[in-house]
Amino acid sequence: MTEFEHKLKMAEALAATGKMSRREFVQFAAALGIAIPAAGTLFSKVAKAEDAKKGGALVIGMEGGSASDSYDPRTYADSIMIAASLAVMNCLVEFDDAGNPTPELFESWEAKPGAAEWVFNVRKGIKFSNGKELDAEDIIYSIGLHRGEDTKSPAKGILEPITEIKALSPTQISMTLKEGNADFPVILGDYHLVVVPKDFNDWSKPIGTGAYTLESFEPGVRIVFKNRGDYWKANRGNFDTVEIRYIQDAAARTAALQSGEVHAINRLDARTVDLLMQDENVKVVRTKGTGNRYCFVSRVTMDPFTNKDLRTALKYGIDRDQIIQSVFSGYAVPGNDHTLDALNPFYNTNLPQRPYDPDKAAFHFKKAGISGKVELQTSEGAWSSAVDCASIYQESLKKAGIDLTVTKVSGDGYWDNVWLKVPFCAVYWGRRMSADATLSQVYGSASDWNDSDWRKPEFDKIISEARIELDNAKRKELYFKAQEMISDDGGMICFAISDYLDGYSPKIAGVTPHARYDLADQRLAEKAWFA
Amino acid sequence: MFRLLITRVVLGLLTLFAISILIFAATEMLPGDVASAVLGQGATPETLAAFRLELGLDRPAYIRYLEWFTGVLQGDLGVSLTNKRDILESIAPRFGNTMFLAGFAALIAVPVSVGLGILAAINEGKWIDRVANIVSLATISVPEFFIAYVLILYFAVKHRWFPSLATVFPDMAFSTKLYVTALPAITLTLLVTAHMLRMTRSSVLAIMSQPYIEMAFLKGLPRARVIMRHALPNAAAPIIAVIALNLAYLIVGVVVIEVVFVYPGMGQYMVDGVTKRDLPVVQACGLVFASAFIILNTIADILGILVNPRLRKRNTGH
Repeated sequence: MTEFEHKLKMAEALAATGKMSRREFVQFAAALGIAIPAAGTLFSKVAKAEDAKKGGALVIGMEGGSASDSYDPRTYADSIMIAASLAVMNCLVEFDDAGNPTPELFESWEAKPGAAEWVFNVRKGIKFSNGKELDAEDIIYSIGLHRGEDTKSPAKGILEPITEIKALSPTQISMTLKEGNADFPVILGDYHLVVVPKDFNDWSKPIGTGAYTLESFEPGVRIVFKNRGDYWKANRGNFDTVEIRYIQDAAARTAALQSGEVHAINRLDARTVDLLMQDENVKVVRTKGTGNRYCFVSRVTMDPFTNKDLRTALKYGIDRDQIIQSVFSGYAVPGNDHTLDALNPFYNTNLPQRPYDPDKAAFHFKKAGISGKVELQTSEGAWSSAVDCASIYQESLKKAGIDLTVTKVSGDGYWDNVWLKVPFCAVYWGRRMSADATLSQVYGSASDWNDSDWRKPEFDKIISEARIELDNAKRKELYFKAQEMISDDGGMICFAISDYLDGYSPKIAGVTPHARYDLADQRLAEKAWFA
Repeated sequence: MFRLLITRVVLGLLTLFAISILIFAATEMLPGDVASAVLGQGATPETLAAFRLELGLDRPAYIRYLEWFTGVLQGDLGVSLTNKRDILESIAPRFGNTMFLAGFAALIAVPVSVGLGILAAINEGKWIDRVANIVSLATISVPEFFIAYVLILYFAVKHRWFPSLATVFPDMAFSTKLYVTALPAITLTLLVTAHMLRMTRSSVLAIMSQPYIEMAFLKGLPRARVIMRHALPNAAAPIIAVIALNLAYLIVGVVVIEVVFVYPGMGQYMVDGVTKRDLPVVQACGLVFASAFIILNTIADILGILVNPRLRKRNTGH
């Protein structure tokens, strides 16, 4: 044991027995040379779980749902239904704060070499709210909802590689994949894959293994839950009742938090969050750079974007910092022209951040020798500030002598009629939990969503190799190379990755930033408690 | 009188029918459909096709319209395309909420504005006339959400006298409902008062220059009595029309207020329906809104005729 390891072990022991606070631990770790976010995670892992207090009625005010919401997991697409389903049901795999897959209804798993054959052990002794005991058949049925010819589930694509699922015993399931995938448990952590009893289909009365049962559901208005009692996860499911209120308007959400009518809200307005932080009734939790990836995407198979020099010019010609300052009020981090973020373990830290460099942009633009106009289509339908971002982009390109035509198009049907169809348009991407999912869905040749139409056999080969590589160092090397290829040659200008901003009442405890979603990975109902 | 009523009702029904076709055509013309709206960026051609097939969107528009229309005639508004809930069941409580808020606001706004309008007319040019005018004009000149936010900031966030969330639930006591909806009701009152107040004032004043009013003054009657007994009944028709128009606005035009105060009325439901291309929901809401408008206007017309002896005579055909 080196001295470093020894000191860390001691600190861990102190943290575990509660003799060292998070702050002290992080300072100590920083002195040892451990990055602060990593140290924070380390502390969460080893610290003695602060004993959660039981009781109380939690009210959450949220955006991200509508009057057409349903409990059918094949329809989940936004925050409110993700949070609502996780209150009543459980997933197969959970994620810790750093984003690593951890057991939930799957207690453990194992891959055969090559990562194509997997065996999962079902957690024992778990009961659904109707009294039935969880077994392998329930899980196979729940996964099956998202598979097959005629399912309309958005999770259909990510489950496509599964060729066979069978129950080896009531508590063991084997799955076989078309090709190996070392990140398969991460895929199974997808929020659509919640577990219901076999043959269950009455979505107006959802049944699950979660901490709460559904009391009432008025889509677009509110969802009320009651504690089931005796939740199988220690220290979780602490509130007597939980209520989710639909509050679409950011100002109305903020007012409701400030006046004490709700205890937590999502999606704070970045433009007012600095003022909000001065209110002593509000606690802001910021998760840096894991939110949406905002991009302008060109299709490299359509003129004039077939020209690599033009694409390079467009990447150097965007003033990322100015967009982040003026549109996101500083609550975003610059993107490096691919959609992985710095919290992903395989994020390429060697690749320098591409700066705003009008000279280089001008140089490449000249070299490209483009005549005629370069047109960018943008819309509020892409994301609410896409038009503002495009205007700033237009200005910053002017300094490089590039004249960008910005066309604002209708938000209705944007994803249907503009995205994937026009040569250059505004797009945002959500976070995918694994490097493999991110890179293969956005840039893989086989992906329907490859919006830059950048399809390279050598890139696909690297991704396939990395997918079955169980040695992390080798995987890292491969993913680094893949990110470099995209950033250098691809058609995507990924200029900003937003922060998640949650607001809480100071009464709420047990909330930490999470690598996946806001509001404690949308598990606020089961994770938090009243201090 | 009876014939008049029948004609008005038949005309109203015909208008409704025309409106139902217009709404249907308008939603058909919007780009995208329910499948692409629900699946959004995550859609693939296969999932889109599966979704459309399941909802029967592959069939021609006129067949879908006829099916829906025959359903409505039998009192069946259909089910929502997105969450398969029965529309009538979803709409009924929301319609009740909309009517509750509109009624609450109208109960404050109508007496206040008509009363102030008459008061202003009696005291034409004096300070009370000026104050009523300036205040009501000021409130109508700022956007509705601004008034709403100012009220929220002062009464909910600063002083916590009223809640900022005006959401009402079926199991709430009536008095609680009044309490939580106080801020939106006041906002709406401020929005509609100016129009009714000024119409009351100007129609009363217009009558004041008539010869028979001068006659009344010459008889030595006090100004207040002249206005109440002689001017007001003759000025009633335009006032009733304006009240009807504002009541209709309180029912159909308050979606912004619903969003700001998180009030579960029909406006928000319809907007959700439009964004998700949930055609039956949009149709149903459109129909209800159109009915509200037509019914209120018909009532206003009939009342206007009833209170005015001259109009009453002409229309009965004698």
